[in-house]
Amino acid sequence: MTERPSFQKEVSNLMSVLDGNPIDVCIQCGTCSGSCPAVEYMDYSPRHIIALIRSDLKDEVLNSDTIWCCSSCYNCTVRCPKEIKITEMMYALKRYSIWKHQYREGAIGPAFSRKFVRMVVKTGKSYEPGLAPTFMFRYGMRGMIDNMQLGMSLFNKKRIAILPKTVKRIKNFRRVLNRIIPIGVEK
Amino acid sequence: MNGKRILLIDDDPDYVYAVKMILEKANYSVRVSYSPKEGYAALQDGEFDLVIVDVMMGRGAEGIIVARKLKKDRELKKLPLLMITGIREQTGFFFIGDPRHETFLPVDGFLEKPVNTEVLLNKVRELLHSDQTAELKQEKQGEEP
Amino acid sequence: MRYVYFPGCSLETVAKSYDVSARLTAEKLGVELTELEDWNCCGATAYFHIDEILAHTLCARNLAMAEKTGLDVVAPCSACYKNMGETNAHLKQDAELRDHINIALKEDGLEFSGQQRVLHLVDVFTEDVGIENIRKNVVNSLKGLHVAPYYGCQILRPKMGRENIENPEFLEDLISATGAEAVDYPLKTECCGGSLIMTKNPVALKMIKNLLACAADKGADLIVTTCPLCQVNLECYQKQVNRKYGTEFSLPVLYITQVLGFALGIPKDDLLIGSELSSPAGLLTRFSREAV
Repeated sequence: MTERPSFQKEVSNLMSVLDGNPIDVCIQCGTCSGSCPAVEYMDYSPRHIIALIRSDLKDEVLNSDTIWCCSSCYNCTVRCPKEIKITEMMYALKRYSIWKHQYREGAIGPAFSRKFVRMVVKTGKSYEPGLAPTFMFRYGMRGMIDNMQLGMSLFNKKRIAILPKTVKRIKNFRRVLNRIIPIGVEK
Repeated sequence: MNGKRILLIDDDPDYVYAVKMILEKANYSVRVSYSPKEGYAALQDGEFDLVIVDVMMGRGAEGIIVARKLKKDRELKKLPLLMITGIREQTGFFFIGDPRHETFLPVDGFLEKPVNTEVLLNKVRELLHSDQTAELKQEKQGEEP
Repeated sequence: MRYVYFPGCSLETVAKSYDVSARLTAEKLGVELTELEDWNCCGATAYFHIDEILAHTLCARNLAMAEKTGLDVVAPCSACYKNMGETNAHLKQDAELRDHINIALKEDGLEFSGQQRVLHLVDVFTEDVGIENIRKNVVNSLKGLHVAPYYGCQILRPKMGRENIENPEFLEDLISATGAEAVDYPLKTECCGGSLIMTKNPVALKMIKNLLACAADKGADLIVTTCPLCQVNLECYQKQVNRKYGTEFSLPVLYITQVLGFALGIPKDDLLIGSELSSPAGLLTRFSREAV
């Protein structure tokens, strides 16, 4: 019988076959953490996250806000001396976290990403005003006012679309996506 | 043991633990693979009567790739294939109806998580039985002069 | 020099000035850009958070449609450039994934075979047109203007064949070609926060503040960018940054194509200079020959 996989194995299973098993080779040098522009906001640095993964401390990793502070700037990835694709690992952790509904309370990223993905499935293009409800009320009264003011200013400069745009061959487009992930759109 | 061997390919250890228990209680012999790669390896060195596959694994809907690969293989396509998925829960997508398709989603059964024990066992029985029925038909055809 | 042009979602709305100025500048420099018919969103970063295979499929559809034109793909947005470049490379390497996605693409009568290259619009200017050619065509010299060259992340990273990603100079070369002075900008390859401005606002605001402070410190009159998300982050949130940090930034942020276009003699209004929240229109007027 196969043993229950360690969290490290689970994470490496989530990454592309081409990436091998990167977390194994980390030498904990900290170059990633030193290169990360958001590290001061993370409760665990990227290096620390890898150490936690190796120690099978899944809950610490998923309940931290590290992965949701990652902006995918790839600084860590290009500088890692062991060529670990750390950004891809962050994507894998985000997928894991979203699929399992396990993330810190208040994290905006999951709802934002889900909405974005659904919007593009629906119309083929992204539409900023459609995303606004996922975050504009989450930064208090001041945040909401700021977002609304920004929206109005951009609207006055004709930089906001009123209606979402749709790809012309939208039915075909949805059928294409349906062949990748069975979301059962109109046949 | 009733002699029927099931291969379960699913990356969620908690779900796997529960399903394995249910199936073993019903006297099936269960082997688990936590990734498509492990699943293919198991199929190489083991014999099974039914394969159960999850959809969301690895980079995304890898289960679909697994299903198509198995049904393309000359030997393995005879194996009944049950797909159990938590897509709705996991990704927030809503889907309508039965997404099975003989080319694109060539699975023999499709269930959505969370699966009721009774529903799961009925489905497994149905798929194993239909496999037996197919075998019987073939034998009978062999007998006719 | 003919290419198929992939504007991306932002260029249809919040970054309209990038789209307009890109097309006008390309035309001026003899680059023919034909918009990819019926393109779809590249998926940004959000798709990787849900299903990476689906993310690659979005880009594969665009690439397969481009293949039908036989032309290479040019993207002005760094995120689109990165996504499509990565998908292109990935699918060329991973036959199983490629076959899987091609089964899906059949639903739209498409097939991906990886014949096209994916280029950033800026590379077309620096490599295909060439700095010297651009310099020769400048009519409004921007001599006396100090410009901070902001690359951001995804035009440089992950490495897609570009040699110097730690200290690139191609944007500085473009700026110098217009006559302006490219300011020494140590944070030129640092992230602007990207979508964190929405999902983790305080983190992005700090990153933006650092970028603005550095540019101001180095005496920049304006910042140029090569990505719509960078431009929006640096430009539209200065008010929020000022309130949070007690600073007084009011640095104009333009697209490289707007500055280039202006230097090449395209009228300010045509380039949509003035659609910014804090417009540098006045600043640029003194460089315009028409104003003299």
